[in-house]
Amino acid sequence: MSVLREMFENLLSRPITILYPKEKVPIPAAFRGRIAIADDKCIGCSKCSLVCPAQVITMVDGPRNVEFRGKNLARKKRPQVKLYKCIRCGLCERHCPAGAITLKHELSGSGTDREVVVT
Amino acid sequence: MPEVVIPIGPHHPALKEPVNFRIIADGEKIVRLELDLSYNHRGVEKAAEQRDFIRVLPLLERVCGICSHSHATAFAKGIEEIMQIGIPPRARYIRTIIAELERMHSHLLWLGVAAHLIGFDTLFMWTWRDREAVQDTLEEMSGNRVHYNINEIGGVRCDLTPSQVNAALARLPLLEERVNTYVDMVNSEETLLIRFRGVGRLSKEEALRYGTVGPTARASGIDYDTRKDDPYLAYSEAPWNVVTDSNGDVFGRTRVRVRELQESLKIVRFCLENLPEGPIRVPAPKNAPKGEILSRYEAPRGELAHFIRTNGTDRVERIDIRTPTLANWTSVAMCLVNRNIADIPVIVAAIDPCLSCTSRITLVDNQTQKAGVIGFDELIRRYRSRNPEEV
Amino acid sequence: MTDPVSGLIYVFIFPGFLFLFIYALFLAFLDRKIAARMQQRVGPPFFQPFADFIKVLGKEVIDPAGVDRVVFDAAPLVALAAVMTAFLYVPVTGNSPLAFQGDLVVVLYLLSLPTLVLFLLGWLSRNIFSAIGGIRAVTQLFIYEVPFFLALLTPALMAGTWSVSEIVLWQQKNLWFVFLQPIGFIVALVGLQAKLERRPFDIPEAETEIVAGPWTELTGRRLAVMDLTIDLSLVVGSALVAALFLGGPLIPWAIAPAWLEGIIGFLLFLIKTLAVLLILSSIKVATGRIRIDQLNDIGWKYIAGASIVQVGIVLVMNYLWVYA
Repeated sequence: MSVLREMFENLLSRPITILYPKEKVPIPAAFRGRIAIADDKCIGCSKCSLVCPAQVITMVDGPRNVEFRGKNLARKKRPQVKLYKCIRCGLCERHCPAGAITLKHELSGSGTDREVVVT
Repeated sequence: MPEVVIPIGPHHPALKEPVNFRIIADGEKIVRLELDLSYNHRGVEKAAEQRDFIRVLPLLERVCGICSHSHATAFAKGIEEIMQIGIPPRARYIRTIIAELERMHSHLLWLGVAAHLIGFDTLFMWTWRDREAVQDTLEEMSGNRVHYNINEIGGVRCDLTPSQVNAALARLPLLEERVNTYVDMVNSEETLLIRFRGVGRLSKEEALRYGTVGPTARASGIDYDTRKDDPYLAYSEAPWNVVTDSNGDVFGRTRVRVRELQESLKIVRFCLENLPEGPIRVPAPKNAPKGEILSRYEAPRGELAHFIRTNGTDRVERIDIRTPTLANWTSVAMCLVNRNIADIPVIVAAIDPCLSCTSRITLVDNQTQKAGVIGFDELIRRYRSRNPEEV
Repeated sequence: MTDPVSGLIYVFIFPGFLFLFIYALFLAFLDRKIAARMQQRVGPPFFQPFADFIKVLGKEVIDPAGVDRVVFDAAPLVALAAVMTAFLYVPVTGNSPLAFQGDLVVVLYLLSLPTLVLFLLGWLSRNIFSAIGGIRAVTQLFIYEVPFFLALLTPALMAGTWSVSEIVLWQQKNLWFVFLQPIGFIVALVGLQAKLERRPFDIPEAETEIVAGPWTELTGRRLAVMDLTIDLSLVVGSALVAALFLGGPLIPWAIAPAWLEGIIGFLLFLIKTLAVLLILSSIKVATGRIRIDQLNDIGWKYIAGASIVQVGIVLVMNYLWVYA
């Protein structure tokens, strides 16, 4: 009769529902959210574009001088991500040699203008 | 009442995924049934032939949501064996931890769903509440509640920090207490006993003949668990036992799954406490040598087999996935005859069907615009016509 | 008979239909809230059953092909009318002014009408799931109705009258029937759970097996009316059990001002029906559904057996009473 006892214990205690959005759920550090690209670190090697399983990263023009492993590099291209198609697998973050592309804690925002959802 | 056809599916509240049973029933008794799978066919095997080894793992993970890690690990382990690289012990332990946590979340999910199907919503709410602890642990470790993407060819993608290990260990005692409650409940709760006992009985010979795997087979007394019979990852080092039962009906399958939860907790605790230090991956070559391998893995639902053929490039030439649910469907069709309509959801749920995993075969004829399945004799005939030197 | 104005107020406002409507929605809310809290969920807010009723009323009515639309529209209204009429004979604040000898039988008969309407709807729907559900509803009716009737007739046997209001008066002078006939009380509660088609007896409406049984093809205002009928039967059933076994709205001693007696009686009515609801909700939360053949087993072996034993005990007690 453990079911009966637990039922009545539950009746007299608080429910465990988290009343979102008043109460929030704690987000762990490893959470894979929206992609963010640090423009001052990216060296334009295209590795993120090559490993993406969903093929959402394309390399567009973006020349810039970047410091990488003690040397100065003249970057030619930078990545552009279709955020609305990204499956947030984290492979780009794992394979980037410069640590320029990371997955943040926010989820991808929604918007009506294409510019909002393509970085 | 004369014989009537009751369509269970493709859309039905009892099913989580589309499958078509056409039940021919006489009153409340089932006379025979006609089974039609493949509503969830997505062409994953073909899509996998076009992606290299880094990009194919997330695709294979998405064959199924609940046993995602099983597919990815089975593939990764197969490719690593073809390439003949050994992964470091820390990576093996991390893969085992995630695998057993996945087994726990799958079995708790199943317990809730089985309870919901007999109308016992209270147990459904409670098991899914406890499953949240497992999901929180998985999210802390890998970043996502399903589709963990923890595997790479050569090791794991990310490491476990000491705080993550401690947080996971802190959740284990509560889970152990709750799982022990469920073991007691399954053995003593009247509603579960009365609906599950005697339903869908499979004797040991029948289970072997129909090719059942996983907890369905172990409930009929067959002592077969890929983790013990063909050990991989850290299963030969952790102390655990294969769980079998002699009942052979849905009640036996419930008992097997709930006791497997206890065994999984033991393995997770051992691996978390004895996590070896060291690197988490070794560099893997880009191309795999030519070869064929059958990689077997014990998914939560049973034995999963990936047949992989490589040809020296950085992609697979052919991958064939034989999921445990596919092996268990025959036993469902056999068990359902002469039972009540009310037992259909119970017997179907007892094999823990995952139809996203199952639908691997469909045959589409462009000329006649028809779709169907290939029978076994036709399969043999086609093989022989293509390989005349082997006949 | 009282004067027509107060009679009309009794029937339509309080404690008649308007009160019944409000109280039914309140008890439906409490039932869901208690069930939710027992499962550690939050549960719906207090106006949820009312909001559901209004929402479903406004939905589109879909007629399946070949279905007799007139009967499909009228049948839920017949069920609703039956249950509302049954409530008039159950004492709420004192005796019912409409009471007459034999109104217990009328109430029991009216309370079985919704199940027959469900069978009719299941048969009319031209849908295999509804037909199976309708057959299960009638099978269940046959199984639990005999013990339920017997358990509710034993108070009448002991009180020597066929009117609910007079049974309540008898309990006021003597002892509550829950102490004199505990087996009958338990059988009445189980029978009530089966009549209301709640777990473990919600076999006709088994969502995971036959979609929704006879409710499958009900949409829009028809579904709203049938839902309301079930909610009203919960009130009528609990009020009936409270009146027959827990002493109804009368207390064992008299209190001086008549209006105070009325108010206290009403409060007692509320408390007793809430107690019955708590027991029914606990049964609903603690169990799962059983199969119709298992209900057949349990119903005829244990429940009917217990009710027959109870009748036997009552006859013996009556005999001893007369001779003592």
